[in-house]
Amino acid sequence: MNDGERDIIDDELMTRAGRLAQDIQPQSDLWPGIAEAIAKPPAVASWNRFIVQAAAVLLLVGGSSGLTYLAVTDDDRAASPVTQNPGLVFQPVSGSFGSQYTLGPGFKDAHSVLASQLEQEMQRLSPEARRNVHESLATIRTAIADINRALANEPDNALLQKLLLSSYQEELSVMRQVSEITGTVMFREDF
Amino acid sequence: MAIAEPHFASRVATEKEQVVNDEQQWVRKAQAADAQAFEALYRLHVGKVYGLCLRMTGNASEAEDCTQEAFIQAWRKLDKFRGDSSFGTWMHKVAVNSVLGRMRKSRREQDRLRLVAENAPQHASVGDGTGMRDLEQAIDELPSGARHVFVLQAVYGYTHEETGNMLGIATGTSKAQLHRARRMLAQQLETGSDET
Repeated sequence: MNDGERDIIDDELMTRAGRLAQDIQPQSDLWPGIAEAIAKPPAVASWNRFIVQAAAVLLLVGGSSGLTYLAVTDDDRAASPVTQNPGLVFQPVSGSFGSQYTLGPGFKDAHSVLASQLEQEMQRLSPEARRNVHESLATIRTAIADINRALANEPDNALLQKLLLSSYQEELSVMRQVSEITGTVMFREDF
Repeated sequence: MAIAEPHFASRVATEKEQVVNDEQQWVRKAQAADAQAFEALYRLHVGKVYGLCLRMTGNASEAEDCTQEAFIQAWRKLDKFRGDSSFGTWMHKVAVNSVLGRMRKSRREQDRLRLVAENAPQHASVGDGTGMRDLEQAIDELPSGARHVFVLQAVYGYTHEETGNMLGIATGTSKAQLHRARRMLAQQLETGSDET
């Protein structure tokens, strides 16, 4: 077959393809199944996601504990216990993530300060501890992104909202631990 | 005295405008959780959505599942429809996502390709007396990437850019896949022609 013949077949092919029916009715009416599905919330997907997020939080707790252990072992000295800062609270207000909650200004400020200091402070940790922190934060941030996506479909799901808040708190907690541990290390180096 | 009938083209345009207006009303109502309005949208668009799913999957049962899933997803994401494109185009995008999502999740595509290969006639008959194998079957036998691009472009008339956006691929990839699909189809048609 020469180029000319091939072009003819090619043109005919596209012409015929353009004439194929675009509108084809399914053999059965699909509406009853759709009506049933849209009448109830997508509970199964949410619960799956909830379980995944719960697992992520469990991983995170393990990661945080590991981080503290490694940092303390490196320095032969116990880190000061992490204290709760009463200023770092969540303030449920309307119209942000999900449809119910947003982060309070106290959290945003603390998050911003800790995040900007994090990489600098991480240099004072051992490579293993550093890797643990990165993994923990990545786990939490993935969880936060997943929960936010789930909330986009179910903005009023109280469990997801609660899980999101606790995930944000965990992120802050890990960053705060890094800050406190490296503060301890700095203190020792001063001697 | 006989009343002059309106010009055919003008009557068609009026009816089309009416459908568009109805569709916009149904969309607004459906966005406010009116299931009856959404059913009206389903009735209006199910043929095109099912047709696209059928041509992309090549399997009636799979296409029905994809169509159902597409409308369920559309209901849940209706608040994201801003009217930048027509509702039909938006539904097509949702349907394409539904097809791609199902294909990623399952191995049915591989099973389907294997079945098509096993069941394909050794000497395909000429479908329309022009010496060419049946085009629809030939499209079904394309690899999924080439088939999806060919269906969206050659059958539904989307541009490379629109096709790339729908499938999540680069425009260049869309062009390459269309070229590949045309070459493979031409080869198949040529083979069919030689064999008859």
